[in-house]
Amino acid sequence: MGSISIIEVKGLSKVFKGKIRAVNRISFNVKEGEILGFLGPNGAGKTTTLNMLSTLLRPSEGAAKVNGFDIEQEPDAVRRSIGYVFQEPTLDLQLTGRENLDFHGRLYHLKKEDRKRRIEEMLQLVQLTDRADDLVKTYSGGMKRRLEIARGLLHHPKVLFLDEPTLGLDPQTRHSIWDHIQRLNKERRITIILTTHYTEEADFLCGRILIIDSGEIVALDTPEKLKAKLEGDVVILVIRNPTMVLRARSLFEEKKWVRRVDVFSRENTETSPDLKMEKMHRMRGVSRIGGMMGEMGSGEGGSIRKQKPKRHEDIPEMEIDDGNRRKDLGSKQLNLLVDNGSHRIPEIVKLSEAAGITLESVELHKPTLDDVFLSVTGRNIREEKGSFVEMARRHHILQQARGKRGVG
Amino acid sequence: MQTLSWQAVYVVLLRELKRYWRAKARIVSSVVQSVFFLAIFGLGLGGLIGGIGDISYLSYLAPGIIGMSLLFASVFSGVSVIFDRQFGFMKEMLVAPVSRTSIILGRIFGGAVTASLQGIMIMIVAGFMGAFEPSLALALGAVAAVGVMFLITSGFVGLGVAIGSSLNDFHAFQLLSTFVIWPIFMLSGVFFPIDTVPAPLQIVMLANPLFHGVELLRWCLLGVGTPLLGPFGWMINLGVLAVFNVLMIILGAFLFSRAQV
Ligand SMILES: Nc1ncnc2c1ncn2[C@@H]1O[C@H](COP(=O)(O)OP(=O)(O)O)[C@@H](O)[C@H]1O
Ligand SMILES: [Mg+2]
Repeated sequence: MGSISIIEVKGLSKVFKGKIRAVNRISFNVKEGEILGFLGPNGAGKTTTLNMLSTLLRPSEGAAKVNGFDIEQEPDAVRRSIGYVFQEPTLDLQLTGRENLDFHGRLYHLKKEDRKRRIEEMLQLVQLTDRADDLVKTYSGGMKRRLEIARGLLHHPKVLFLDEPTLGLDPQTRHSIWDHIQRLNKERRITIILTTHYTEEADFLCGRILIIDSGEIVALDTPEKLKAKLEGDVVILVIRNPTMVLRARSLFEEKKWVRRVDVFSRENTETSPDLKMEKMHRMRGVSRIGGMMGEMGSGEGGSIRKQKPKRHEDIPEMEIDDGNRRKDLGSKQLNLLVDNGSHRIPEIVKLSEAAGITLESVELHKPTLDDVFLSVTGRNIREEKGSFVEMARRHHILQQARGKRGVG
Repeated sequence: MQTLSWQAVYVVLLRELKRYWRAKARIVSSVVQSVFFLAIFGLGLGGLIGGIGDISYLSYLAPGIIGMSLLFASVFSGVSVIFDRQFGFMKEMLVAPVSRTSIILGRIFGGAVTASLQGIMIMIVAGFMGAFEPSLALALGAVAAVGVMFLITSGFVGLGVAIGSSLNDFHAFQLLSTFVIWPIFMLSGVFFPIDTVPAPLQIVMLANPLFHGVELLRWCLLGVGTPLLGPFGWMINLGVLAVFNVLMIILGAFLFSRAQV
């Protein structure tokens, strides 16, 4: 990993309409050849940051250099230095894959020979050669994403921006995109900035992770160091009875060797990104209604339950299946961040028993990036944040991406 | 950033052409629609009215129907920048190292070329239906008419882009279509000569750029001018159309370059 910075950001901010501070005085450097991940929930300011670095948006404060060019003084040079794969699909569906690339190559003034050669090369790289002359509207979600990556690389950029590269893709396709991203970085030494709100993705792909929340950088380090900083293990206690949950919480909060206690509904705990994806997709359309019904005490409606994994403070909780059937929420889980977890388990079990708390199960794991996010922001990354419009927009993107889905 | 890149204009224009040819069903249906208009009104109403001056009603109507088709095709093409934004392709264009002006000029000229192609097809079909007297003058007039079509369409694509850049959704466009586009069409002298309407309406028609476009097409294809405007009426027509054209392209480019991504 070279030590030369290919991107330098100093005090960059974006204020929308004079009041929404989407990005707040962020500073960081990106080293040549690295994969830097922006990890943060929806609305954290990831896309806004990329839009400023790509000169699509003017910063409200601060400055940045990309490949040595100032984003405000030399926008054309910056634009030539970067490839940008946007969060939402930006292909012309009425053109073929090759025509989309050709359009791009011409727009970036590639000479005919270079353009032709480069198009073939990029098509091969993302394994779309045999579908190159089909209309893009016949492509699967993963194929579209790969074509966009190929397009982003066509004009020999130094840096590739990938905004939520796997949003809305199925697991298999997601893994194939991950492979492509890794190969690009390793074999072609392309510097990559990617944004994601999937911790697994950040963990798997990124050399360094920049955690961004409400427009501010809250941590920046390698995934290993971020996790190591938590110093300890996460012990998960699964408890069914709500009053016992509360009792357990106050019990363990008092113990010195417990550094944090967080309560989640059990639904929130699956760590498989696949399941999570499914859930996320399902929850979108109705989450507002769910939230309102929740506030109304949700007596008679009966058919609505909260879609979002919620933290403890927000009970009462209800759940719905796709079948809109009401039932009580299953279990809660307490995440205890403790020193030397495996040795504490017997004590934890003993203490619980003494306090009359029935444990359904006890799990032990090393801190994940989810835990890191929780500890630096005090919130779970899977909590939705952002306006209704934002959520509706993402729902739309997901549906578009999924419209023609298949194995990538 | 600020400089105009003709290559970019050309690339964007090329895309418009490709997309146009791909939507064959749309081409066929809009041409057939215009031909229906011509056949039903030209022959039907024509039988009732006979003619206007010493030309048949079908002949009188043909340039008007061409103008109608140009209007709708070009405004729609301009407004479809909304779809480019909605389907994301706009970002692909806007992040490229070329000025927004180059992109929108490509868009406007591309829309103008495709809409004019449609006008040419209708002109040819109308010719086969016997709307125009074959002669050398007609051959020259038809060439001039193609130029006029390009003037009309690039102006109206510009208007469409201006509308599409200021509106965020397509529903608002439908309102605008009722209150702006349809009146432009109804008051462009497609069906009746300007001297048959009361004076106040005449003033409105004279302010309508499409009226001048249609009259100019009549002058090219039929050799008749606007009696109201005197023997050199075609110059006035051309002048108004040219001013409209330039203003709309500037307005479209301006509003487009200010629009949010
Ligand atoms: N054009 C805009 N106008 C006003 N607010 C915006 C605009 N774009 C983004 N925002 C707001 O800025 C914040 C950050 O958004 P964004 O950068 O898209 O977040 P992320 O990509 O991390 O999900 C959000 O609160 C969003 O609603
Ligand atoms: Mg985003």
